[in-house]
Amino acid sequence: MANIAAQRIKREFKEVIKSEEVAKCAIKVELVSDSYTELKGEIAGPPDTPYEGGNFVLEIKVPETYPFNPPKVRFLTKIWHPNISSVTGAICLDILKDQWAAAMTLRTVLLSLQALLSAAEPDDPQDAVVAKQYKDAPDMFRLTARYWTAAYAGGPYSNPDFDSKIRRLTDMGIESHDARVALSSFNWDLERATEQLFS
Amino acid sequence: MVDVGSASASSSGSNQNNSNPGEEDKKDERMFECNICLDTAKDAVVSMCGHLFCWPCLHQWLETRPARQMCPVCKAAISKEKVIPLYGRGSSKQEDPRNKAPPRPAGQRSEPEANTHFPGLGFHGSFMSFGIGAFPFGFITSSFHFGDNRPFAATHDTQSAEEQFLSKVFLWVALAFLIWLLLA
Repeated sequence: MANIAAQRIKREFKEVIKSEEVAKCAIKVELVSDSYTELKGEIAGPPDTPYEGGNFVLEIKVPETYPFNPPKVRFLTKIWHPNISSVTGAICLDILKDQWAAAMTLRTVLLSLQALLSAAEPDDPQDAVVAKQYKDAPDMFRLTARYWTAAYAGGPYSNPDFDSKIRRLTDMGIESHDARVALSSFNWDLERATEQLFS
Repeated sequence: MVDVGSASASSSGSNQNNSNPGEEDKKDERMFECNICLDTAKDAVVSMCGHLFCWPCLHQWLETRPARQMCPVCKAAISKEKVIPLYGRGSSKQEDPRNKAPPRPAGQRSEPEANTHFPGLGFHGSFMSFGIGAFPFGFITSSFHFGDNRPFAATHDTQSAEEQFLSKVFLWVALAFLIWLLLA
């Protein structure tokens, strides 16, 4: 790894650890390998959003050309959000692409991602299904996102209706994650979800 | 470079009589950190928007995105030519950091100054010099031709005769022009 990239990540790492956001448990970074090329990030779901109470783990890959090119970031924790793929965790955020600037740091990236959770951009979606639900059925979107936060990120929410629908599908031999995806995609319409799963 | 920075921080920190000298000094150090490598800026340059960088760092940033030259901090428009080098008293050489590797790009060529006084006169002058310079030569060559053409004319009839006639005409025109020049 280029010297400048490793040097900088080391400095940033210290910066994040000392930052007040860490003190408030809002963001966190951990080393995955000693080479500083791979890190694990964590952000707390912002308050007053469906992600509140959840902890979202991120995979951060630092390229050789860092900081002249952005780090590669994706969600490892499954999340229901218009700008994040519910399948791969890929993120659609301009600063991780063409709007990257060399003065940005791991800290600002994590804070930007936290801001993305509070303010989705449904007109520039990464996950078209989620974005459509966000626009057409915002209440359904909020419930679903909160339900996913509880299921994958340790959120406190529970929804017995959704639970029972998932159980109906798992009883038919469907994996609970696949059942959750299918039901979420069809606004928790059990019939259409079943149809799609068995077609 | 990291060691140098921390060493100078601790040594100068011990000279101060602050309640928390190390902390104070660290703050001072951080003020002069390059916004790209986060180390103390070396070969420092500052952009028009006031942001500090090492020249090698900023150069590489500008090279990475040649199409969109913007400040890495505030995204203001910047360019290589519009950064100011910083010369501290402690720096060994008072040399423009932009001249260091990577070298500053070659100077830009600008259009020559247009003659704004009397463009007509300028044209006239060149015409006159042409007239004086070229006609005596024309006179010599045509006169040489006049002598050499005679045996040639016998073999090539009409065309060479015409040429001969033309050269004679030109000779007379040239002579007339010379006389006019002398009289005028």
